[in-house]
Amino acid sequence: MKKKRLSKNDILHLAYLAGLNLDKKEIEKYKKQLEETISYIENLNELKTDNVFPTAYVAFLNNIFFSDNEKNERGLTLEEVFQNTKIKENNCFRVKKIFDE
Amino acid sequence: MLLGKSLVEISKLIENRYISNKEVIDYFLKRINKYNSKINAYLTINADYKFDNLYKSILPIAVKDNFCTQGIKTTAASKVLENFIPPYESTVTKRLLDASFFILGKTNMDAWAHGSSTETSDFGPTKNPWDFLRSPGGSSGGSAAVVSSYLAPAAIGSETAGSIRQPAAWSGVIGLKPTYGRVSRYGLIAMASSLDCPGPLTLTTEDAAFILKIIAGKDKFDATSSNDRVPDYVSNLKNKKKFIIGVTDEYLNGINDDFRSAFYQLVNILEKMGHKIKKINLLSPKYSISVYTIIQRAEVCSNLARYDGIRYGNNRSFFGSEAKRRIMLGTYVLSYGYYDSYYKKAQKVRTLIIEDFKRVFKEVDMILAPTTPIASLKLGEFEKYPFFGEMMDVLNEPAAIAGICAISFPFGLTKKDNLPIGLQLMGRWFEEENILNLTFQIEKETDFLGVIKKGVNNYPD
Repeated sequence: MKKKRLSKNDILHLAYLAGLNLDKKEIEKYKKQLEETISYIENLNELKTDNVFPTAYVAFLNNIFFSDNEKNERGLTLEEVFQNTKIKENNCFRVKKIFDE
Repeated sequence: MLLGKSLVEISKLIENRYISNKEVIDYFLKRINKYNSKINAYLTINADYKFDNLYKSILPIAVKDNFCTQGIKTTAASKVLENFIPPYESTVTKRLLDASFFILGKTNMDAWAHGSSTETSDFGPTKNPWDFLRSPGGSSGGSAAVVSSYLAPAAIGSETAGSIRQPAAWSGVIGLKPTYGRVSRYGLIAMASSLDCPGPLTLTTEDAAFILKIIAGKDKFDATSSNDRVPDYVSNLKNKKKFIIGVTDEYLNGINDDFRSAFYQLVNILEKMGHKIKKINLLSPKYSISVYTIIQRAEVCSNLARYDGIRYGNNRSFFGSEAKRRIMLGTYVLSYGYYDSYYKKAQKVRTLIIEDFKRVFKEVDMILAPTTPIASLKLGEFEKYPFFGEMMDVLNEPAAIAGICAISFPFGLTKKDNLPIGLQLMGRWFEEENILNLTFQIEKETDFLGVIKKGVNNYPD
């Protein structure tokens, strides 16, 4: 099994994309573990798949749409929507600002 | 009087007024009180009940903590959701409540269902009721443990690849993974959406059939739930059908000797019962490990993207080590430049695995195999390997990837450690009635070699 290598920057980039903060120890740990896992899953290349169609779902389904005037039975009340949040303001969720002034 | 009674038996006792529903619920709450601190199988206990009619059949059940239960805390065993109270009910629990079930409590699991040992729970591992130093399996480890120690007569679990069958095998109970789409996923905290299947863990085959009948069927809130007719799984048990059963060497490589003997013992019994055994060839399950690892990690990283701590729950710094590891790999296999070589490749091999099963199911009605390569491991063993769970679930992954149905049942104990051995039957898509039918025949013929009763009797009232 040939070993796949990842750099520290690869790990930091993945963490950034995934919205995770990793400490120094975690970076080392995940680098090692990801390398091991990626090396293992390379075994799929032993199988020929040139003309094979990829499967996303096994449920054999078509899209389902609601009509415009259908009642939404899954709707929540405002109280229910906010019951689990920590910070709300005037019936809005308060989030960190993403634009500089 | 109640110890070890199945749901169906309890229901009859209440209806015939031998016992009231209040006495039944009190009985289980008392047992939970006595044993749960040792096993750590329930995360939340629901002692809040009031029934007007004492002889209406109200049946207790435990539910894995990744099903949203309105007004009852639901954590998925993660600190991210440690205080989350769902504002709505999952379809599975809604259907159970409508059928007069009472939810005794929410069971421990691997956090976000990531794992095969219940050790990644942020609230401590569940202990195997057969040996407290060992794992009950996972991720539905709490659900398996409460049934095995009779802290509930039955439980609901969820399986992505092995998470019902493997803990059922390690804890010595029955675990049914229905066909993908047979049971609605609405309100089930998503792990890998193209694989997740809710299903029951029980003491008897009849109870598994009884619960499946209630929870199966089309749900307008889950577009992937199937329109397929829901047969009467319970009455279908009575008619002893004869089947052609496939066996394959691919599922016996590297299997512990006790498991191999149990497997051949059952093969002999099945032949004597008049079933036909047929040798088949299947793709090596080693490819399923890779397909599963890629697809599941990819779907995990998408599904867990919603946990930002804004609308509910804590922020992403509360994710445990296993969740972070999976998010990282999922992000990698979906990222630019790698999508084709990993994710798309895995989806293509997924097609090959499905075609492989389709080919085999033209020759046989179902496939018999061990559920796991070895019996329950000591707590702490899993930590040593980055995807050890996937290796332990190697015999469960092909069925999960193809979306077919499968059932695990106990069949004897290991010689040295007296731990349950699990065997499984895998059936065609939407043919739960057949695998249940044969499991019921095996139960009547062998009583699963006494494993389930022995497990329950380890926990006297």
